[in-house]
Amino acid sequence: MADDHWRDLMLAAQAGDAAAYRRLLVEAGGWLRTYYARRLPASMVDDAAQEVLLAVHTKRHTYDPAKPFGPWLAAIARYKWIDRLRAMKDTLTEELPEDIAVRDHGEAIQSANVLERLLGRIKPAQANAIRLVKIEGLSIKETAERLDQTVALVKVNIHRGLRQLSELAREESHEA
Amino acid sequence: MKLESLIDELTEDLTPVKPRRFWADLLVLALIAAVELALLFALGIAHLDLERLATQPTMGWRLVSLGVIALMSGFLAVRSFDPAYSAKDALRWLAVIVALCLAYGLIMDGPPAGTASLLQRLDWRSGIQCASKIVLLSLPPLAALALLCRRGAPTDLRRTPLLSGLAAAAWGAFVFVFACPFNDPLYIVVWYGIACGLVTLAARVMMPRLARW
Repeated sequence: MADDHWRDLMLAAQAGDAAAYRRLLVEAGGWLRTYYARRLPASMVDDAAQEVLLAVHTKRHTYDPAKPFGPWLAAIARYKWIDRLRAMKDTLTEELPEDIAVRDHGEAIQSANVLERLLGRIKPAQANAIRLVKIEGLSIKETAERLDQTVALVKVNIHRGLRQLSELAREESHEA
Repeated sequence: MKLESLIDELTEDLTPVKPRRFWADLLVLALIAAVELALLFALGIAHLDLERLATQPTMGWRLVSLGVIALMSGFLAVRSFDPAYSAKDALRWLAVIVALCLAYGLIMDGPPAGTASLLQRLDWRSGIQCASKIVLLSLPPLAALALLCRRGAPTDLRRTPLLSGLAAAAWGAFVFVFACPFNDPLYIVVWYGIACGLVTLAARVMMPRLARW
């Protein structure tokens, strides 16, 4: 926590400086994410951080600029955390039965491992283009922007990479 | 909503605010208490009887004990409207002071008398009247504390209402000393205690609902 820096930003925010306020909220938001990541399930971290930022907004007049900002923020974060823990305690949860049927994902995991290994054997430019378009589902244009390549080059890399992958897969099956 | 879009909204919503000042809040509270006391004297409900103060030992005990408790708990209550302040240790010390004040009163009272005499001394009809008046006199400072609490940001919603309730109750009882005709330490400990306890309990139950977060 950069106390003096945050105190200055909050002081400016109390006077109505929007740029300082935005900077403070962005920095405090980052700190809050780290704070809650260690204390709450991952799915709740963002919500909890947002709740604290809202509280900071509505209670910003209660911050005394003569005191450091860090403990003030930490006290609100802690209060909201305890509130959340209480709410979690009151939420009904159902215990899963021991013999619940779950699909076997072994085959999918094995295929993913093989694919990853094969991708490691072709050129990185081709492997990256295939990963982004065929696995992550990005468009050719988005992939081109992400990889800093032309659209035509992405298409060529995917085409050549896939051909090479099928050759490698065929070789491996023959060896086996 | 994503954190980034919330930050955008909050930044757009930003307006200048006047920071809360601890001493200003304390001054508001002191003013309300002083106005209440002055009003009771002006209306002739309370009397500053110096002769009574000199001849009745419980008068001095009541004024000093209740004054100290009201000042301390009022000060701590206003401090606890700051989210970073924890009143845990202060409340413990305050409990010791309250216990000492009560014990001093009971020591003044001397050895316990018989049951019949005790019931007579407690005079429940007058006692209920006294307790009701203390509760009524506690209401203005309690309302002021509730409003200050709502404007503040207390994070300890167990201790802050306790301190606020105790401060208001002690002030109500302090003011009532100037209008109370009774001088029996047992009567005072019991009925003042019941009144202060009721106000503190009411604050403990009601105030967390008023705190706006």
